[in-house]
Amino acid sequence: MSIKKSNTIKSYEITSESIYLERRKLIKSMSIASTMIPWGMTWSQSSKEDGYISAYKRNSIYSTSEPKNSFEDITTYNNFYEFGMGKSDPYQNSANFEPAPWNVKISGEANKTGVYNIDDLIDSNALEERIYRLRCVEAWSMVIPWIGIPLANIIEKLEPNSKAKYVAFETVYRPNEMPGQRKRILKWPYIEALTMAEAMNPLTLIAVGLYGQDLLNQSGAPMRLVVPWKYGFKSIKSINKIHFQESQPKTSWNMAASNEYGFYANVNPEVDHPRWSQSRERRIGNGFFGAKQPTLMFNGYQDEVAHLYQGMNLRKYF
Amino acid sequence: MQYMVKVFTLISLIPFIILSLKGFGFLPVFGFFSDLGANPIETIIHTTGKWGIRILILTLLIAPIGYYTKHELCKRLPKPLGLVSLFYILNHFLSYALIDQGGDIKVIIVDIIETPYLIVGWAGFLCLLSVGLVSLKKLQTWFNKNRSTISGIVYTAAVLGVWHYYWQTKVIEVEPVLLSILMLLLTGWKFITSKKKS
Repeated sequence: MSIKKSNTIKSYEITSESIYLERRKLIKSMSIASTMIPWGMTWSQSSKEDGYISAYKRNSIYSTSEPKNSFEDITTYNNFYEFGMGKSDPYQNSANFEPAPWNVKISGEANKTGVYNIDDLIDSNALEERIYRLRCVEAWSMVIPWIGIPLANIIEKLEPNSKAKYVAFETVYRPNEMPGQRKRILKWPYIEALTMAEAMNPLTLIAVGLYGQDLLNQSGAPMRLVVPWKYGFKSIKSINKIHFQESQPKTSWNMAASNEYGFYANVNPEVDHPRWSQSRERRIGNGFFGAKQPTLMFNGYQDEVAHLYQGMNLRKYF
Repeated sequence: MQYMVKVFTLISLIPFIILSLKGFGFLPVFGFFSDLGANPIETIIHTTGKWGIRILILTLLIAPIGYYTKHELCKRLPKPLGLVSLFYILNHFLSYALIDQGGDIKVIIVDIIETPYLIVGWAGFLCLLSVGLVSLKKLQTWFNKNRSTISGIVYTAAVLGVWHYYWQTKVIEVEPVLLSILMLLLTGWKFITSKKKS
């Protein structure tokens, strides 16, 4: 499979916030007026009613043509320990979670820090579908049609300063709505982080949906990270804090077992987990007798990301 | 009495029956729980493994209970329950070897070497299998003569089984911790009582 390399991130022209909000409001009211006339009164309600996704374009450069997993597989087989440790727990225990309204606190080494509404961060006109492979550290994988925008698009808006070397993300902490957080499975809230170069890579996505609809709670509603060349645990869900910093952030799985889960956590068939092999993976949905398949370096995204780790000892920085 | 033994044995097979019904799609009434989920082979391996070790430890628990209550059932139950446990573990192993790894011996050997908890599980499985084989009718006298060796092997199998379970969890989980504590108590009790006898 060959993926064409794009050398530029389309630069986002920063619009002043008030103009930007006005424009969004206008576009929203226009699209609502044309599609939601029968519901008359509901249009002025919170953004949950109209959803985050109205339209999106398909990005074929970064999308795989492999067969997609079914919506059912993607939304009933999850690791999201905030809702419990079983694979079906997130599906079964996430009904009480409220993904709207949603604010995200931006802090640290950036000019535009503060609390933002999700609508101010996600430019709904820039939404794209990206069909990515997802490789879990537990040696299973899926193919998921995400809807989202490049993280770079958001970061440019926030104007990180020269001290910002890393960007850290936090999952919302709501033990009332997230039963797993009432137990000390991990140290809550969940934290993940990327280097700035990783965060700005065009593959890195903030997803708000999949299969053309808003993310369900078990998939990390309303916004989550998707870093397809890293093990799934890096792709943090239900993000409500983004922090720019100079030193390497302490991340949840790394704190839980630093010899097993590194900061980078790049998919690498040559570096095994201390307790199991990473050389092969089971593609979910391949049928009962489907054979395991070899795991690819950087999950098959070498062309896009290998340059980020040039000269690095990937056994040491796993 | 024989009737009660049959009842308990049948009860211990219920998880397997449910698993089979799900596998063949005969449980349509339970909605989401009606099939084996997105990763059916994982469901089978985990379910058979968990019930195998649970029933094995239950089998070992019968000894101290019988020691204090002197109940007749406690003499008769260990063997059928132990065999049910072996049945689960055999399914556990075969579904791993034949389905998950596609029955490729080379692949299985490499996988076992690369995955430390599999070595432990494999050893435990061999222990249990050897006891299961000598319990066959033809070897009955040998089985009855060497009871202490046999219970030693069963204990070893249980310790390895719990270890195998504990070692693969990503974070500390309740069940493997509980089973480990139970195994520690059981081994301690066995040690003390066998010293008393000699």
